[in-house]
Amino acid sequence: MKRRLFIASGLSTLAGCGSVTAAMNQNASVQRVLASVERLNHALIGTRGLAREYDDRDVDANFRVNGFAAPSDARYGELLAEKFAGYRLVVDGAVERPNAFSLAQLSTMPQRTQITRHDCVEGWSAIGKWSGVALSHLLDRVGVRPGARYVLFRCMDNDGSGNLYYESLDLHQARHPQALLALRLNDAPLDPDHGAPLRLKVPTQLGYKSAKWIGRIELVGSFANIYGGRGGYWEDQGYEWYAGI
Amino acid sequence: MKELETAVVYRYGLLTRLSHWVWFVAFLVLVGSGLQIFNASPNLDASDKSDPARRVLAIGSPAAGVGTTTIFGHTFVTTNWLGWTGDGMGSRGPRAFGASIIIPGYQDLSGGRRWHLFFAWIAALCWLAWLVSSAVKGNLQQMILRRSDLSKLWPMQAYYLKLRKAPPPYDVYNPLQKAAYTTVLFVIAPLVVLTGLALSPGIDAIASPLTVAFGGRQFARLWHFAGMLVLIAFFAIHTFQVLTQGFANQMRSMITGWYRP
Repeated sequence: MKRRLFIASGLSTLAGCGSVTAAMNQNASVQRVLASVERLNHALIGTRGLAREYDDRDVDANFRVNGFAAPSDARYGELLAEKFAGYRLVVDGAVERPNAFSLAQLSTMPQRTQITRHDCVEGWSAIGKWSGVALSHLLDRVGVRPGARYVLFRCMDNDGSGNLYYESLDLHQARHPQALLALRLNDAPLDPDHGAPLRLKVPTQLGYKSAKWIGRIELVGSFANIYGGRGGYWEDQGYEWYAGI
Repeated sequence: MKELETAVVYRYGLLTRLSHWVWFVAFLVLVGSGLQIFNASPNLDASDKSDPARRVLAIGSPAAGVGTTTIFGHTFVTTNWLGWTGDGMGSRGPRAFGASIIIPGYQDLSGGRRWHLFFAWIAALCWLAWLVSSAVKGNLQQMILRRSDLSKLWPMQAYYLKLRKAPPPYDVYNPLQKAAYTTVLFVIAPLVVLTGLALSPGIDAIASPLTVAFGGRQFARLWHFAGMLVLIAFFAIHTFQVLTQGFANQMRSMITGWYRP
């Protein structure tokens, strides 16, 4: 009897959690309380130190593709067909010298290579060799104006419902030496599934911060009025803006 | 009546009782939300990056209506329990742990992460407050397993197994209780916190020796899961003992503090 009571109470306690929290999860106040620790984690962990860098032998030859596959819209198809000859990375917003850089121009800037681990929010990890331009170098080229607080990355893909993918970093994160605008993966130009022609790599945060298919970088004072107002596509779906944990 | 009053002793202070129930809630939430997070990538590898060649556990659904669990390369059919489970809305589908035991009770990784990271803070701060208070009050002495307790572990177990008429002499907690509390509070709980931190990219950048010490990110995830299994085992045995050894007395003592020895 006692044993049966024990098993029944154990199972019902566990099973109860799912349905109770399912209801609570829809409550805005509950969500605000739960989300409050993001600021604490951001303040305590932040973006400090350097992500570990690995050797060539650690690299995954077939780096896992996740999330959305290559953009399917016509404009991207045209750019891909001409091997991104007409691609221009627009850098504007709160900058001294707005510009639009071709791939050739980006390739002549100082290149940085880093072999780092990509930690997905889903729990898996993969190691890739990424080469490209340090984001801080590009920021220096265009000159950040005093009002700028965030670097916003506008991407060339959408989720099929017309919502454009975007991401953001604050200037401290963007100035991190490993914040990289990658042009190459494993010694070859990025392929469409991995974000061609240009993607972000931020190895100190979870993978969803490393936006693919970047078309425009905009310096902004706030992202409150951009799309869902939370600073990124996945952030608008409920994921943390600070993704260091 | 007079006799009854003298028979009960004040056993648990307010902070101990409060910590106990905070941990109870936090534990259930952390397990449920942890399983939600696990479901997003239902594999555990003994490696730094994901590596199928070093896979220790894989839960999956090779075909519609079939759930399997593979441990060290041995595959078991676990349909309706693991791999092919309920979605919380009346039907079943490919999902490692069922919606009825994950938090929130449907597939929602970002939701699971918010519950998990919030209650991780609650549990850790509660542990710290309890530790400081217990150390100041001197209660820790009664709980920690000492060298002199080691020889009493088997006699105590023999007593439980009815192989011995009387338990070995002890003060407040018996040697097995001390062993369980010491292991859970001072070994497993800190390990679960550290392995959880070790699998975060921001922490790895600050303190990579921590991640390296556990064998890398995926290995830290494996240790984190294993720690949860140990805590579940403790929780199950603990609950069984409470239910079978004077449930009302045990509950009263952990709610009001008063216990009848």
